[in-house]
Amino acid sequence: MAASKVGRGLLSGWGLRIWVFLLFALFWQVSATYMKNMLIPTFTETIGGFIQLVFVSGRIWEPLYISNQALVLGYFLSVVVAIPLGLAAGRARLIDRILNPYIGVFLAIPVAPLIPMVIIALGLGLASRVAIVFLFAFIFITVNTRAGVRNVDPWLIEMAKSFGANERQIWRRIVIPGAVPAIFVGLRTGLGRAISGMVIVELLLVASGLGRLILEFAGRLQADFVFATVLVVIVEALLLLSAMRLIEQRVAPWAHDISVE
Amino acid sequence: MAKAGVEVGKMRPISVPGALWRPLRGTWMEALALVGGVALWEMLGWLLAMPWLPPFSKVMEALVQFVQSGVILANVVVSLQGLAIGFSISLVVGLLVGALMGRYRRVEQALHIYVHALFISPSMIFAPIFFAIFGLSDAVRIAVIVVYSLFVIIINTTTAIRTVDPALVEMACSFGANERQIFVRILLPASLPLVFAGIRLGMGRAVRGMINGEMFIAMVGLGALAQRYGSQFEASKAFAIAMVVLIIALVCNWIVQTVENSLTQWVD
Amino acid sequence: MIQVRGLSKEFAGRDGTDTGIVALDSLDFEVRDNEFLTVIGPSGCGKTTLLRIVAGLIPYDRGEVSINGTPVTGPGPDRAVVFQNFALMPWADVLTNVAFGLEIRDMPKAECEATAMRLVKLVGLEGFERRLPKELSGGMQQRVGLARALAVNPRILLMDEPFGSLDEQTRRLLQEQLLRIWERERKTVIFITHSMEEAVLLGDRVMLMTPRPGRVKEIINVPLKRPRGHDTEKSATFVEIKEYLWQNLRSMQVA
Repeated sequence: MAASKVGRGLLSGWGLRIWVFLLFALFWQVSATYMKNMLIPTFTETIGGFIQLVFVSGRIWEPLYISNQALVLGYFLSVVVAIPLGLAAGRARLIDRILNPYIGVFLAIPVAPLIPMVIIALGLGLASRVAIVFLFAFIFITVNTRAGVRNVDPWLIEMAKSFGANERQIWRRIVIPGAVPAIFVGLRTGLGRAISGMVIVELLLVASGLGRLILEFAGRLQADFVFATVLVVIVEALLLLSAMRLIEQRVAPWAHDISVE
Repeated sequence: MAKAGVEVGKMRPISVPGALWRPLRGTWMEALALVGGVALWEMLGWLLAMPWLPPFSKVMEALVQFVQSGVILANVVVSLQGLAIGFSISLVVGLLVGALMGRYRRVEQALHIYVHALFISPSMIFAPIFFAIFGLSDAVRIAVIVVYSLFVIIINTTTAIRTVDPALVEMACSFGANERQIFVRILLPASLPLVFAGIRLGMGRAVRGMINGEMFIAMVGLGALAQRYGSQFEASKAFAIAMVVLIIALVCNWIVQTVENSLTQWVD
Repeated sequence: MIQVRGLSKEFAGRDGTDTGIVALDSLDFEVRDNEFLTVIGPSGCGKTTLLRIVAGLIPYDRGEVSINGTPVTGPGPDRAVVFQNFALMPWADVLTNVAFGLEIRDMPKAECEATAMRLVKLVGLEGFERRLPKELSGGMQQRVGLARALAVNPRILLMDEPFGSLDEQTRRLLQEQLLRIWERERKTVIFITHSMEEAVLLGDRVMLMTPRPGRVKEIINVPLKRPRGHDTEKSATFVEIKEYLWQNLRSMQVA
């Protein structure tokens, strides 16, 4: 069964997708126009607002920058903490045993109700936003890293030992290369989680970035800008995650996310 | 006559759902780790005396108080109602769309890219949109739950149907089965394991959507309580609410897992 | 009687480019009624493709495939397939699996079960009718596959390396069982195999195929007396024919 990458004709592949999009845009446009709700912009108004915010007035860039500070710092912090933790858990049975009961809990526990506690501890500034993004992401990176290490063929390690390799050599030549695909999956999942964390921070705390912007636009009944800001965030998320996916594809096209098994 | 006893049948007992046999030493280690962690939490809570880190015992106290006084019962019910409605919508729509996408290549080609994009987008970002459309009503938090859980169900259902062993389909063809018979007798049962994987994942996400959506509106359910206790610096109670949500998540997961196990006993 | 004249089949290359694979090229042969024809040849000679075409599972490009004069256009009640990897429904028990072909044809449930039970006994799986496939060994699973095929009482049995994924001992037992069952009701059989012993032991005639593209090299008569058993393997004729097959197959591999 040949998969057509470029649609030939109006009814296959990309043709279909464009049709779906057009239908959606049309439905939106018509129902928004009909509803005449101040808070619901039409499709064209939203696109117009998007272009305004991003290209014309550039109003979106500073709040975007502010919000993303939390994302970048929080994500890198979680990577720095989670990967060594995952590696240790994967390799050392003792550490794994100690961490195991907590992994399930941390995967399932909702971070949102704990946000007020983080605020109390760290105030309303960047620190708490970074901490929240960290909390959203780190366990997912840990779990996937650990799985990556554990899934390295134990026979390979036996083989290396039989040739006299020491711990450091085993790590460098067998374990790390073997675990890299899973680690990258974890990095991608963690990024998605970090972005979610950033969004939730913005919406629940109404911090100094995009959240405040949305509130401002809503207050001024500038619905087109509200929706446009939402669109900007979605676009950013898609771009970041696609980029991550591309990197991951080059490293290991076959890996899958262990935290969602 | 043919000898039935010549071969030793490969017979395995049907695995008991959720029963895990671990070496005793391992279990002790993990139990110890849990107890150790709790003890650490308790100690740090008292020692540091930070308003944001109440000792474990205080959190437990708050939790017990909740249960005894029934103060949060109304909120839990409201939250669970929203969860039930939202998840049901995701389930019905998700299974249907997933089945269509799994069965008809055209449908999958058309929709896959959007389903995937919506799946990886941060679900909460749609909250302002729902707020604009529905105002301050139940619909907002239900819509958030749907957005959190729908797409993973669609994706898993689609994959489930697409990855049915083609040999089974060919076998059915060879006996003259028509399209409908193949769908009902082969595709549906064969896709159950993966479909359930999607339902389980969707369930977890739905619970997260429940609490996040409620905290955004902050007027009803457990989310409202979380916001209130948070703003009043009542840390023990806030932690206790998180625990309640955690328990809800675990119970829901257990329910889905049990149903799944009973329906997929045949999996190797 | 199965008649194949000038049968050709091509598989398109990937992405619809023109570098297709010619799986079968102008096959010409006949299978007489009640005959057991074994088909042997190296990988890539199109034996499985041929079987699937006769079963009506895939279309063919040129030529003619007919059964007693009627061209093959799809699956039919006169043919049943036994698959190499068993193709059992893992969620259904033995009885349900055996009854599958009957249930598809809307036979009343009681009748399906009765017929299926009869066949379960025939293949020696009495007592196992409520077991799931995962609880059975490979040999037992294939017996279920055989029972399922026989249950619909086809005139023609199409077997695609049915014992290929079994260990040798199990294979020999199933060969004996198949021979015994076939002696009772002599269906027309096309049996694909990789094993020369199997081809000579089971077949009235052995069709030797060559690969790339798939063609019929020769059809060899096997004049060994029936009923056959594993003692037949000691006979001079058996050894001779087997050796002949081996010489041919070996030269094909080198080429």
